[in-house]
Amino acid sequence: MEKVKLLYEGKAKRVYSTIEEDKFIIEFKDTATAFDGLKKAEISGKGEANCIISSKIFELLTIKGIKNHYIKRLSERDMLVRSVKIFPIEVIIRNKVAGSMAKRLGLDVGKELERPVLEFCYKSDELHDPMINEDHILALGLATENELNTIKEMSLETNRILIEFFKRCHLDLVDMKFEFGKDSQGDIYLADEISPDTCRLWELGTTTSWDKDRFRKDLGGVEEAYKEVKERVINIPIESKARILIRLKPSILDAQGSVILNALKSLGFSEVIEVRAGKLLELKVDRKIDEPERIEKMCKELLANPVMEDYEWEWVE
Amino acid sequence: MGVGRVSFGIVVFPGTNCDRDCYYVIRDILNQPVRFIWHKDNDLKGIDCIVLPGGFSYGDYLRAGAIARFSPIMSNVREFAEKGGLVIGICNGFQILTEAGLLPGALGRNKTLRFICRYVNLIIERNDTPFTSEFKNGEIVRMPIAHNEGNYYIDELSKVKNLVVLRYYGENPNGALDNIAGIINERGNVFGLMPHPERCSEKVLGSEDGLRIFKSIVRSL
Repeated sequence: MEKVKLLYEGKAKRVYSTIEEDKFIIEFKDTATAFDGLKKAEISGKGEANCIISSKIFELLTIKGIKNHYIKRLSERDMLVRSVKIFPIEVIIRNKVAGSMAKRLGLDVGKELERPVLEFCYKSDELHDPMINEDHILALGLATENELNTIKEMSLETNRILIEFFKRCHLDLVDMKFEFGKDSQGDIYLADEISPDTCRLWELGTTTSWDKDRFRKDLGGVEEAYKEVKERVINIPIESKARILIRLKPSILDAQGSVILNALKSLGFSEVIEVRAGKLLELKVDRKIDEPERIEKMCKELLANPVMEDYEWEWVE
Repeated sequence: MGVGRVSFGIVVFPGTNCDRDCYYVIRDILNQPVRFIWHKDNDLKGIDCIVLPGGFSYGDYLRAGAIARFSPIMSNVREFAEKGGLVIGICNGFQILTEAGLLPGALGRNKTLRFICRYVNLIIERNDTPFTSEFKNGEIVRMPIAHNEGNYYIDELSKVKNLVVLRYYGENPNGALDNIAGIINERGNVFGLMPHPERCSEKVLGSEDGLRIFKSIVRSL
């Protein structure tokens, strides 16, 4: 898939159209900005790290049933996504107090919250993304009530999944920012990216930052932090089960099926017209990003004999 | 035999069980040099003809021959065949050759769903191969079969139209398409057959027709 036309350039990403109307390519840049663009720098390797981290997390979320715009990673910086129309809302979800919440409410950074807190901001660079509430969203028609409910549910569920995931990376998920979009059918997808640019990640049990705060606060080791998170994320296996069904091609007489058919009929199950027997294989797989074709390859190279067998497979869980 | 010496190599996979029969026929009856080649080895030096014998390589798990084809020796066998070396696959060896793509088609389960172990009649369709020159075209011979997956299948029969060397004659024991019991590749140096020639190479066993396959090989080289 090739980039056709630059549609939009943001602070950290470029979005391109492709020859297919329903697909975009997102290119992750090394540029970092903070404080509404007042602070700006190039962080070598950031684009790559964020692209790889986001890809793996979107893969995980897909497995867990969270609809998201990710289709596949095309290169170290390019991600193929479903083209969705982004809601002009930023969703922030917080598990611990940090950033603007600490400032606004005068709370200690790192304070645990009784339950996750959802905040909404209106996406507007001129207005500096002001905080809004659910009534604003509905009254201004930024989303319908159903859409908002879906967005909230998806945000909370994604948060639950990612708290667990980052714990396995020895990281505390302090807070993160989501964007959502909808496709032409009106289906809602989690969009944008999920990376140290959009998440506050602390070393587990401490307040040591492994995210963009290192850049915001001049803590040093910025490049290393992105690389470190990337390494930790990549190294977590995402176990998933592939169920493969192998059957004789329809053109081949299935002797086993015929015997079973006869047995069923002799037991009085006269309604059975045909039986095709097959093999079911279940593979527990560590799903690495970019490799959905691997199962296909396994089927072709070993599991099925293409001369006489057909196969189909799916991820199950 | 009044001909030169032909060196045979018999590949042994875990689960192979006809290797010693082949060895006996080649060494003791034909008086030809022969050695076993463990599937993890890759030394084919001096070998003129590779035998993939019968048995149940890797327990026939997944599909007969499906796992054996990935044994280290198989890449050497492929190379050997590409250089024109003679390869004969008997029963499980035939299954391995089809799985490896060295012969066209596939061997599915017998239509009876039973393991069949008995003598069958076969008709020689081609005697212009290095494996069958001791026979006459159209000759009927007797050899034993012993297999669970001998049901030869190919999506288009036209692909093997000129490659059939042996057919079941009279009765089709396993449902094989077009009665195919043995086929050769286009080049004519890789041969696979379901019957066991090594089991009918001495009079005392009821038939010597199998020996003529090994004799053909020796004569051709």
